[in-house]
Amino acid sequence: MNVDDDVPVLRSGVDLSSDAARANAEAHAALGRELSDKLAWARAGGPEESRRRHEERGKLLPRTRVERLLDPGSPFLELSALAALGMYGDDAPAAGIVTGIGRVAGRACVVVANDATVKGGTYFPMTVKKHLRAQEVALQNRLPCIYLVDSGGAFLPMQDEVFPDREHFGRIFYNQATMSSMGIPQIAAVLGSCTAGGAYVPAMSDEAVIVRGQGTIFLGGPPLVKAATGEVVTAEELGGGELHARVSGVTDHLAEDDDDALRRVRAIVATLGPRPSPPWDVAAPEEPAADPAGITAVVPTDFRTPYEVRDLLAHLVDGSRFLEFKREFGRTLVTGFARIHGHPVGIVANQGVLFSESALKGAHFVQLCDQRRVPLVFLQNISGFMVGRDYEAGGIAKHGAKMVTAVACARVPKFTVVVGGSFGAGNYSMCGRAYGPRFLWTWPNARISVMGGEQAASVLATVRRDQIEGSGRTWSADDEEAFKAPIRAQYEQQGHPFHATARLWDDGVIHPADTRTVLALGLSAAANAPLGPVAYGTFRM
Amino acid sequence: MFDTVLVANRGEIAVRVLRTLRHLGIRGVAVYSDADAGSRHVAEADEAYRIGPGPALDSYLRTDAILGAAERSGADAVHPGYGFLSERASFARACAAAGVTFIGPPAEAIELMGDKIRAKLLAAETGVPVVPGRAEPGLTDDDLLAAAGEIGFPVLLKPSAGGGGKGMHRVDDASALRAAIETARREARGAFGDDSLFVERWVDRPRHVEIQVFADRHGAVVHLGERECSLQRRHQKIVEEAPSPALDDTTRKAMAGHAVALARRCGYVGAGTVEFVVPSASPDTFYFLEMNTRLQVEHPVTELVTGLDLVELQLRVAAGERLPFAQEEVTWRGHAVEARVYAEDPASGFLPTGGPVLACAEPAGPGVRVDSGIGAGTTVSTLYDPMLAKVVAWAPERDGARRRLRRALGQTAVLGLRTNVAFLRSLLADADVVAGTLDTGLVDRHAASVLGTGTGTGTGGAGSGGADRGGDDPQLGAGRHALGAVGPLVAAAVADATDRTTALAGPSESRADRWQVADGWRLGERAWDVRRYEVDGGRPVTVRVRRAAAAGDEPGAWDVEIDGPDGIVAVDGARVSTDGARLTLAACGRTRHFLHARQGTARWLGSGGTAWSLRAARSTPGSRGGEGTGGTGGAVRSPMPGQVAAVAVAPGDVVAAGDPLVMVEAMKMEHTLSAPVDGVVTEVAAEVGAQVGMDEVLVVVSSARPGTPGTSEAPGTPGTSEAPGAPGTSEAPGAPGTSEAPGAPGTSEAPGAPAGADGRHRRAGDGAR
Repeated sequence: MNVDDDVPVLRSGVDLSSDAARANAEAHAALGRELSDKLAWARAGGPEESRRRHEERGKLLPRTRVERLLDPGSPFLELSALAALGMYGDDAPAAGIVTGIGRVAGRACVVVANDATVKGGTYFPMTVKKHLRAQEVALQNRLPCIYLVDSGGAFLPMQDEVFPDREHFGRIFYNQATMSSMGIPQIAAVLGSCTAGGAYVPAMSDEAVIVRGQGTIFLGGPPLVKAATGEVVTAEELGGGELHARVSGVTDHLAEDDDDALRRVRAIVATLGPRPSPPWDVAAPEEPAADPAGITAVVPTDFRTPYEVRDLLAHLVDGSRFLEFKREFGRTLVTGFARIHGHPVGIVANQGVLFSESALKGAHFVQLCDQRRVPLVFLQNISGFMVGRDYEAGGIAKHGAKMVTAVACARVPKFTVVVGGSFGAGNYSMCGRAYGPRFLWTWPNARISVMGGEQAASVLATVRRDQIEGSGRTWSADDEEAFKAPIRAQYEQQGHPFHATARLWDDGVIHPADTRTVLALGLSAAANAPLGPVAYGTFRM
Repeated sequence: MFDTVLVANRGEIAVRVLRTLRHLGIRGVAVYSDADAGSRHVAEADEAYRIGPGPALDSYLRTDAILGAAERSGADAVHPGYGFLSERASFARACAAAGVTFIGPPAEAIELMGDKIRAKLLAAETGVPVVPGRAEPGLTDDDLLAAAGEIGFPVLLKPSAGGGGKGMHRVDDASALRAAIETARREARGAFGDDSLFVERWVDRPRHVEIQVFADRHGAVVHLGERECSLQRRHQKIVEEAPSPALDDTTRKAMAGHAVALARRCGYVGAGTVEFVVPSASPDTFYFLEMNTRLQVEHPVTELVTGLDLVELQLRVAAGERLPFAQEEVTWRGHAVEARVYAEDPASGFLPTGGPVLACAEPAGPGVRVDSGIGAGTTVSTLYDPMLAKVVAWAPERDGARRRLRRALGQTAVLGLRTNVAFLRSLLADADVVAGTLDTGLVDRHAASVLGTGTGTGTGGAGSGGADRGGDDPQLGAGRHALGAVGPLVAAAVADATDRTTALAGPSESRADRWQVADGWRLGERAWDVRRYEVDGGRPVTVRVRRAAAAGDEPGAWDVEIDGPDGIVAVDGARVSTDGARLTLAACGRTRHFLHARQGTARWLGSGGTAWSLRAARSTPGSRGGEGTGGTGGAVRSPMPGQVAAVAVAPGDVVAAGDPLVMVEAMKMEHTLSAPVDGVVTEVAAEVGAQVGMDEVLVVVSSARPGTPGTSEAPGTPGTSEAPGAPGTSEAPGAPGTSEAPGAPGTSEAPGAPAGADGRHRRAGDGAR
């Protein structure tokens, strides 16, 4: 007897063998291939020559380290996999660092692994951002942190973009200290260099492992020492494993090689206390009645093409069961209760532009979920709030504000998936990055910008035309088009998910068929953190 | 008839004799050494008595212990089986003296026929054809030289006291004879304590045919037909059959007649075997070889073609009954072939193996008989003969029996140790064996052709001999792949992956948390789980396993990639299910069954007569630490400030991990410092009586592991930089001059500070270590 037997089962109205469905699936598959290519490129890491030399030293490549660290066969929820894509002359695949959530000794942990084959594992601005984002994930979800350190420190040519500011290099150690104070374990394995500021990663950790004859930790390397004091010293003498294990006490475990170090880290994680019980009831998981892989057939890749979002839900939620809330009211927003891999979720999904009613319904539903300890899942495909005199007069701004308030203040974990367009204030009310969702993932067909490229071009063209015509000149249609085209191109390029994910505006671009999996992993990870009290700001009535 | 019979033997023959005892309602008593306490013959006996420690000299060869057991059990007869005491006249006499019936021939017959020279003389006197030669006691070197000249070369030198072909030497011309005699005498002295030799003509490509005779105490002597035992390896029979494809009826009749005459002549009683050699080139001639005064290992083939129980007949005759039939009443039906399963490794020159029997499968089916001494849970000791079992098949005609036997061997599996089963199957498919064109050198030639090349190119087709082992050799590459070559590896890899799934998710993955679903999920793909498999202890093979990635895949399907010598072998959608000791692999549209057992972290799989051990490791090739090993060596330091009480090593000493190096006395406690790894002592800084400080280096041991990448890194190679030294990273310690890995032999750790030396190295009285 399933507890959710009373919940209606969604039946997708889409014939998966229809031409339209096949066309959708094929269009998604093409985007998926592009994504896979980018992921493969990022996963390869640094140049062939660097990788070869790395392995010749008896060191494992960073992804192999992560694989060996994780429980065999377990999932790994990689974060920001395409960070720095198209940036720094593409010299920093994955921003030279691998981050994600993985299962170690039975426990979900955040793993941060430097890739020394990418510019010596040094920190570019996006490397810093990615490292900090991983720590934020650990903090929000109370996940132990494991740092597999192999880094030369800051990327010096860009020191002004990595060193001084609040969200720069120093924040890494601030986070370690504050997380440790909250009882979130910090564990480091020094598998290579740990230079300058980097030396604080193991030093700030609760427990640290170093590899003999391979790991080094020092504030200033031999060249700096020589320059500063004239002392000539080898890296090993200055900060090798023997020194730190026997003399300085900077590390706690002396390992023989990468494999040995990773085994020790696993053993350390096994000593951490029990994980807390989830703050909500978790039921037995149930596969959707509609195959999750079929999700691409029911969603067009062009966000301008309308579709039935409940069809998407049928491929996403447990048993395809969906208890819809206010189905008949504010129908451009679909809200309701479901489960994903056993976890209860409140779904908030766009079905067109937001009207005042939709926003009110959304605000109401978010509060319901918050009261009931039900995590929220936002499925974004939103071109914005309805505009026009009647709507402004109807107070759409204050109604939208109510939804934004509710979303901002809800204490339950929020998860956002951008499955189509994400524009303007719609992005805010649907829990965009600024609203602190625990995770935000993007589909390859998504577009994110303050407004659509066409709208932006038109708005700017209108302003321009007003200026030109106001000064008595004329503006030909050709001139206008020449004015609009680069704007459209800029929006298209900047609104593309690869542009967004390279800058960590999300946690990753995912294959649509993986949506259920990433949500399930994220929900389970989020269940490690306790919920705060329910509290809201003033709703403008 | 007897009430209680003690079986003075072990293994399959003890089990087989006990079976007939049960059949006849006789209480069966077993004896066992300490090594056999858990053996099958003990389990199947009505009673069992310990007769001593493992070595046969202290147990199965001890007359007093066995007769003691006979007395305690109240046995009225002793069945000696074969081997051990079965052909010792002294034992037969001791039985008589103890008032226990010895189930075998009279002591005099054993004595007479046990002396090869006298036996041969007796045969000649009886008119039995013997190989031309001289066989009399006390031949001098000159006698042998003269005899060889008369007989004509090539000749064969044989030890008088030998058996089973041990110590024989072929000599092709007179010039080599003297040296050969010297060698043969020395060997005979060493092996049998008697250097008497005799000499006879070398029979080219001989076949070995023997006649089973039976005599009772009332003067009846019959024969039960012949067996051909030409398939021998180093003079040990491994495949026997009845009847012999070599003999025509006339020869058969003549040979049997001679055998009966000889048995009669030597006053034989009970079961005996008269062995002949038959030259391949003229199968109508034969020469007497020797007579075995016991039940033969290969007696089952006679039982299957005559329908008689030879052990039962032995018991009846020993109890004084008449043979229950006359010679004319003996009938022969069909053909039987027997193969002996040995605990030996054909791949390593047929060296004996041993170990726990983790699981075993015995074949069954029409016309198939198994005489086995082992069972799951028993242990095969290297103390005894490595024969484990005999698989025998009967069919109306020879080829049918051969086929049945070969198939039965394919259903035979012993997991936990290597056996010759696959080799036997391969032998049974040899073209000459199929044709019945046998001789005693055939097995060695076959072995050289199938094991020599290793890969078993075979002669094509399923029946080809050599292809058998090769066809299932997991080390083989993609060339032959149709799941066959890599089946065991795929099966083990998928079974291991399935186990890891259960370990992660518990019994029901569908109800588990998403983090516990062991599908290796990654963004847009599934991770390979990379393992290194050692197959039969060989060079590790890299195997990658992951969940089959197809959309909507059923759980339990796996993709496997194997790095073969000819490239990657990919098997998609493989599944494994287990049911008790049976493991089923389904992949590539083929379903294969294996017998399956675990041994610690290893798995054993058996199929088609072959067994493999497969062991997986997660670490990388070239990993320095390996799976939990101690490390690369280095300095051994004093754990406490104290005084050196003893020094056990000097520079250059080879030490094993754990060997004591130095003892330090501190705070009334004695601390023994031992070697961290196997290696060589490169430095000894400790002296007896010296005061040492905490963490002071006392001894340096350098790892002895040759050729591992790790050790090559340990000695400080100047200029090895730890960081890739990226452009712009001024702080990367990639500067030239970084060197000296710690723990490297004789490097930085040395207690160099001269200031401390005075205090530390205070020499004690005699000083010497």
